[in-house]
Amino acid sequence: MSLCGVGSEVALPAPPGPGEQYRFHFDMTKCIGCKCCVVACNEQNGNPPEILWRRVGEIEGGVYPATQRHYLSMGCNHCVEPTCMTGCPVDAYSKDSVTGIVRHSADACIGCQYCTWNCSYGVPQYNPARGVVGKCDMCYGRLTQGQLPACSAACPEGAIRIEVVRTEEWRKEFLAAASSPGMPAEDHSLSTTRITLPGRIAQDLRKADANRLQLEDAHWPLVVMTVLTQVSVGAFCAIGLLELVGARRHRGAAIAALLVAAIALAASTLHLGRPIHAWRALRMWRRSWLSREVLFFTVFAHVAAAYAGALWMGLRGAMLLGALTALTGLAGVAASARIYLVPGRPAWNSLFTFAEFFLTAALLGTLAACALSGLTAMAQSLFTVTGLVMIVAGAGKLFWLYLSPSNERHGTAVLLLTVLSTPLLLRYVMLATALIALPFAHGMAGVAAVAALALGGEFLNRYLFFVSVVPTNMAAQYLAPEAA
Amino acid sequence: MSFARWLARKSGLDTRAEEYAYGNDPVLGYTSLAKSADTWVSTTCGYCSVGCGMQIGVRDGKAVSVRGNPEHPVNRGKLCPKGLAEHYAISAEGRATHPMLRVDGTLERVGWDAAIETLVERMRAVQRKHGPESVGVISTGQLVTEEFYALGKLVQLGLGTRNYDGNTTLCMSTAVAGYKRSFGSDGPPGAYEDLEQADVILLIGANIAENHPILCMRVDANPRRTLIVADPRVTKTAMMADVYLPVKPRSDLALLNAMLRVILDEGLYDREYVARHTTGFAELRASLESVTPESAAKITGLTPEVIRKVALLYARAERPFIGWTMGVNHSTKGTETVNAINNLALVTGKIGQPGASPFSITGQCNAMGTREAGFSSSLPGYRKFESKDDREELARLWNVAVERIPAQRGLAYPDIIEAVVAGKIRALWIIGTNPIVSFPNLDLLKHALGQLEFLVVQDGFHPTPTTEHADLVLPAAIWGEKEGTYTNSERRVSKVNAAVTPPGEARSDFDIFLAVAERLGCREELFPGWQGPGDAFEEWKRASWGRLCDYSGMTYAALEQHGGIQWPYALGAKDAPAASRRLYADGVFQTDDGRARLLPTEWTPFPEQPNGEFPLVLNTGRTVEHWHTRTKTGAISILERMAPRAWLEMNPTDATVLGLRPHDRVEVISRRGRVSRIELRITEIVAPGQVFLPFHFFETNANQLTQSAYDPISREPNFKQCSVRVERSPLHAHEGAQTSLHHG
Repeated sequence: MSLCGVGSEVALPAPPGPGEQYRFHFDMTKCIGCKCCVVACNEQNGNPPEILWRRVGEIEGGVYPATQRHYLSMGCNHCVEPTCMTGCPVDAYSKDSVTGIVRHSADACIGCQYCTWNCSYGVPQYNPARGVVGKCDMCYGRLTQGQLPACSAACPEGAIRIEVVRTEEWRKEFLAAASSPGMPAEDHSLSTTRITLPGRIAQDLRKADANRLQLEDAHWPLVVMTVLTQVSVGAFCAIGLLELVGARRHRGAAIAALLVAAIALAASTLHLGRPIHAWRALRMWRRSWLSREVLFFTVFAHVAAAYAGALWMGLRGAMLLGALTALTGLAGVAASARIYLVPGRPAWNSLFTFAEFFLTAALLGTLAACALSGLTAMAQSLFTVTGLVMIVAGAGKLFWLYLSPSNERHGTAVLLLTVLSTPLLLRYVMLATALIALPFAHGMAGVAAVAALALGGEFLNRYLFFVSVVPTNMAAQYLAPEAA
Repeated sequence: MSFARWLARKSGLDTRAEEYAYGNDPVLGYTSLAKSADTWVSTTCGYCSVGCGMQIGVRDGKAVSVRGNPEHPVNRGKLCPKGLAEHYAISAEGRATHPMLRVDGTLERVGWDAAIETLVERMRAVQRKHGPESVGVISTGQLVTEEFYALGKLVQLGLGTRNYDGNTTLCMSTAVAGYKRSFGSDGPPGAYEDLEQADVILLIGANIAENHPILCMRVDANPRRTLIVADPRVTKTAMMADVYLPVKPRSDLALLNAMLRVILDEGLYDREYVARHTTGFAELRASLESVTPESAAKITGLTPEVIRKVALLYARAERPFIGWTMGVNHSTKGTETVNAINNLALVTGKIGQPGASPFSITGQCNAMGTREAGFSSSLPGYRKFESKDDREELARLWNVAVERIPAQRGLAYPDIIEAVVAGKIRALWIIGTNPIVSFPNLDLLKHALGQLEFLVVQDGFHPTPTTEHADLVLPAAIWGEKEGTYTNSERRVSKVNAAVTPPGEARSDFDIFLAVAERLGCREELFPGWQGPGDAFEEWKRASWGRLCDYSGMTYAALEQHGGIQWPYALGAKDAPAASRRLYADGVFQTDDGRARLLPTEWTPFPEQPNGEFPLVLNTGRTVEHWHTRTKTGAISILERMAPRAWLEMNPTDATVLGLRPHDRVEVISRRGRVSRIELRITEIVAPGQVFLPFHFFETNANQLTQSAYDPISREPNFKQCSVRVERSPLHAHEGAQTSLHHG
């Protein structure tokens, strides 16, 4: 009996030579949107139906009867410079030196899902049942044995083919040959998929699902982790500064701030599909911002512990440790923010993310200073100014998102102003109340109440940050897979 | 999952690595080991009538994978997405596993003996009280031919009622009636090879890219073809067209007659063929007196120039092919439209030649089998009820008195339902079909089923919307669990095989029929010595011998060997079994005089025209991921993932007027009912004034809206047009996780 795909009109090219790699060629003029490739891919890889390594999206334009409807069948684009790989903290991705296929190792993966943000095409998909990410590997195991990938073998129209491309030439050509309506604008990854478009393309050809907006995952462990690391860093900065200017040692506060950092870091492992392997995330610090974040915060936690210990025991040189704590902490917050600056998440991909993360640290830091300094006017005004800056920055970001020509950024604003309007309003009510209430706060209980309001507002804001982001992606099916 | 396993997984151990392991399978190549089979069983796909050859991979008695058979002439190794996931139908949730009898209002498990006894006793009781014809049987297009042949004899000669029809009347009876009227017999004349050989392909109301994707492969393998697609909706198939004709709903007959007129006026018809092989030319010509491209332009919405151009394209083609499906059939003018198509082929003499044929692309996997052997709309072997010779021939073959063979067909499906409403039919046996989803004007049908004294539903699945109304549910084996043959659209008889055993106590329909015959006391008379489908096939071969649908040269082994054989294939036939065969190449038809009939036809507007209260025309149809009423595909998670629910397509012009936005939930309301909370798709796929709704979904049942209007000849329902209005659904409190973007 012959092998699947053999006898088909689609044939495999000779293996790539030096400077070459395999790529997909998708011929939109041939695709009839039957989705055989999708089913064949899931059968090939044994994936559950929630996970589709190959997807068929619809694009539509024109005016009846000159309507145009076309399909995009996409697996992984096996980019020349894959961002999934450069972002991966554990080196789970590799670009095969012979075929150029971007491969993912389920054994190495810790399920941090950073690659799912880094890819502008939505290719890597997290499998919660297994705790790891997975993606199209162009059926590496088939290709290297001379068998067609499952999608290509199943396509009745011969719309999906494997080709060999010279990567240096492709760098010059890809802008034209890899672009298509319904695909995200090219990013730095250099997708290798060649797309043949119909000769006549309607100007308004666009994603059939362009109007569909859905909330993204809240990533609760990350909400907790980012806010609390920032709180801890802000508090340590306040403790350090107060030691510097007032020569007062807030040893109890330092222990508390350390505890907050510990909770934050513990929470972060809960975000992983495979927490037991969390330590591996340090591995790729030369390349991955996620590794750097882990590195900085690990160092921060250790230095902070030393600082808190030094303060507790009244050791000399604690101030130096305090400065180090603040520096590594701030570096950690910066690395944290930098993680979110990815083209695939346009609403995150701006300096507003830096501003938000540092403002959270500043707000809770100045509030800590208020509490520790006995509500000095200086500390109070710093808190108030931070809060006001936060409100201005928040409003500015919302305007910027709303007016953005990017559908994804505008979509984020629409989500915030419609389905998320209640939590958004609540977030600002909490912040404003905290700002107004602080001058009237009496004693530790009063400050604690203000802190609870401020912290609650920050948690809410971070929740909104995660759920409101609209990822770039290739066109999808019109109907969302789950009933709304 | 044990706590230890849960903890291991949550802590990050890869406890499920084995499920995702790969390996080299000798047949599939490098693949997920979960799909690796120890045996492969060749069979034919059980969804549509394209008739793709496939193999079911079985491991440890379970169907774990499927593959297209690379050697099969129909599909050459390819399958559509439904076919690629067909093994999941076998192990799907909701399979019927035990006979269930309604006792005090609830269905309770009973044994097979009690079930069969109840069926026979209750049917006989109704017949004793109300006469033999007070019992009706509605079957399907999805049994094997052997079962259809057995069922026909059982119902007509054993049970003794003529009121027997199939759900094929909801899809193909129009093509049957059209062929019979024009050519004297049912039977699509062409072959799939024609799609590769034609120079002009005209598809009317046929969305093959959605419904028969594997045929697109044949169209696209033909570099010379000019593809013309007539459809009111810009379907996936319309996107393949070289010439797309955006006709107004059900104006196809006007288009065809105008084309005919142009061809006659231009003298582009084949005078010799018309003179030798047809009758009725003068009447046809006279009937076209008032038909012009200009008048047709007003009806179709096309320009007279386009109509002329298409007529000339067709007339000047050497090998023109006309294919149609439900856009033509689902209509009160369906049969006439088929006759108009046949008229075009006849006046140009383009019939039964390579590439040239008026070709009905069938729906269900074995709708053809029931047409050939089924004993419902005609006697087995395309024999006529009205013909004494035909009846006598069968009586001799079966060794029964000729009087027992009816001289007139019984009621057609819609008329059976109306007879139930009228109290003339009191007991119904429904086999392998789900009318609660598929029959028009749902409320009327529900009323009818409520009137019955006894309802038996025999199905592979339970509960289904229909089995829930049953007094007795008989669990049947489905595709992959039984043996026999299917005939596809091109008259190719292909072998169907059992790969696994049916679940629970489910039995093949064939076994159920023999058990009923046993109980009725007619088994030995009607099915002498029969044990399996092979015995039925042998008798059916003899019954078909000398007929148009001649099976007599076929054997199961030859069918397996050649990937099916196209009939007619007579005993002692000289041509190679695998050769492509066509009908009527010699110009001799199945009429008494051997001549085809040219039949005058007349366009009229569809019955329910839009008005101020119901301003939109509702069109219904399918999506590639689902099969009919979703009893199978609704249980297959990958297909549900890709097509999770129904949607309503509406043109932006209408949406603007109604103030509706994409993804809004809307109500669709007709004079007869309403479909609620359906997701709106605002799209240029449909024309202003029209909306489209896929009919697969029980949850948003299109047949709440459709009407009881039937083709007077074929009795096929007018599913495709009715008038509706659309309103925004009231908001639900839980809404909120999704919104839509309105930007630029």
